[in-house]
Amino acid sequence: MTTIAQAEPLLARRRVASRRRFADLAATGVLWMAACSIVLLLVFFIAYLFYLGAGVVSWHFLTAPPSEITAGGGIGPQIFNSFYILFLTMLFTVPIAMGSGIYLQEYARPGVFTTAVQFCAESLATIPSIVMGLFGLIVFVTLLHWHFTALGGALTLTLLNLPALMRVTQEGLSSVPLIMREGSMALGATKWQTIRRVVLPSAIAPLTTGIVLVAGRIFGETAALIYTAGVSVSAGRSAYDWSPFHTAETLSVHLWYTHSEGLVPDAARIGNGSALVLLVMVLIFNILARVLGRLLSRRLTGK
Amino acid sequence: MISTTTNAAEPRLSSKMRVEDLDVYYGDFQAIKSASIEIPENCVTALIGPSGCGKSTFIRALNRMHDLSPNVRVEGTVSLDGEDIYARDVDPVSIRHRIGMVFQRANPFPKSIYENVVYGPKIHGLGKRAQLNEVCERSLRRAALWDEVKDRLHRSALDLSGGQQQRLCIARVLAVEPEVILMDEPASALDPIATSKIEDLISELKDEFTVVIVTHSMQQAARISEFTAFFLMGDLIEVGKTSDVFTKPKDTRTEDYITGRYG
Repeated sequence: MTTIAQAEPLLARRRVASRRRFADLAATGVLWMAACSIVLLLVFFIAYLFYLGAGVVSWHFLTAPPSEITAGGGIGPQIFNSFYILFLTMLFTVPIAMGSGIYLQEYARPGVFTTAVQFCAESLATIPSIVMGLFGLIVFVTLLHWHFTALGGALTLTLLNLPALMRVTQEGLSSVPLIMREGSMALGATKWQTIRRVVLPSAIAPLTTGIVLVAGRIFGETAALIYTAGVSVSAGRSAYDWSPFHTAETLSVHLWYTHSEGLVPDAARIGNGSALVLLVMVLIFNILARVLGRLLSRRLTGK
Repeated sequence: MISTTTNAAEPRLSSKMRVEDLDVYYGDFQAIKSASIEIPENCVTALIGPSGCGKSTFIRALNRMHDLSPNVRVEGTVSLDGEDIYARDVDPVSIRHRIGMVFQRANPFPKSIYENVVYGPKIHGLGKRAQLNEVCERSLRRAALWDEVKDRLHRSALDLSGGQQQRLCIARVLAVEPEVILMDEPASALDPIATSKIEDLISELKDEFTVVIVTHSMQQAARISEFTAFFLMGDLIEVGKTSDVFTKPKDTRTEDYITGRYG
């Protein structure tokens, strides 16, 4: 009697234990597969785009101007415009976003104004890019009579990316320990001296990473540009147009345009090639962000 | 109050800083209750007491470090050479220039050793390379670090050992030539050898500076300080010559602490 009475709960306990072990194993497996699926998706995606686009991309394709009606057009001016608008956008975004980020993180004390800035930034961040594009259309294109311009596109992208870069700045600064600031203040440094000479240099790695990642996002942005920078590569005689007040179709807009409204017979070919170039560019931005971040932090910590 | 006897062997000491009825609040919590003390010039004054007694809070009030924390309130007067440092027209930045601070955890900037030392002189307007080099060498020598780092001044300060980093932080403070140096448990994170180097250094510094040091080690206080203040739960219980406080304390609570009854 006693032996059976003791054996039973022992068996039951073993059963529970093995069930738990199985659940643990299953959970590990499922989570591992979820993580793997992200890698697989990306690899498949890149491989597929390479399969479609690799035959299209050539020196001619990368440098030649696009063609409106006939086959054989390139994407040279679009690549140029993408970088040009990226440059203009960063010119506006970086100072404003970093300025407001520094203010909120280092100076602002809790209050109505701080809450208002924070709330506006969060609201701005939730606006869909197509809505921001329509806003740009109303303000820059129509109201100011600029028509489709690189500048209008850049300003629209600035509005779109300000919140993200502000957050990047805030997070970068908050990663610098308080004890660094105190060390500087205890030497008789002012707040601004402390920020400029200690806090910002200490945060240079996360800041650089964040800025480059935002740049990658700007590079690939489409919807906000269709109605602001337009779908023609230039207004001048040359396809490469330096004027910020001229229309400037970017690579991503071109991809959308050839597929939806383009008249060229080889739209699919151009689309595949453009998609591949766009993807590679954005990947380069992401890799650059990681490499730069690591390089800078290594240089600073001297390791 | 500090009792200073006037006899031939011991000249009367002038006080560098004077604290009167100091209260410090964190929100509603009162961390320091009406503390008064005089800090004698060119001496080492040690602040001792159990963890959480308010000694770090107290020392941070002496150079207005609490200004950086939004919900800390300081009341009472703290004067340096008779001038109230909390007066309305006083710039806290200039106060911190005159009253430097070394922290519990060494906090070198992520820059080279050289840039760490000349950081203070640079922000106070010294620009000439030759002068900066001179300040750098002098400060590192005074901090007893020169011989160890003179060949790698332009390497990262973060490569130094913990004890070296703390001496670098002291050198960094010395470079701005303050009148008073506050030290908040500067050796608590260091091994015994590094600690004894810091202690030797402090004993030398008092010839030129007034030093206030927070320490949780009574032995350290006994070794390096002329005066000792004992804090307990926000109250400044007793101040006096270190030898008096340790051998014939006036308050039973001081005696209990020194004889190890508070752990």
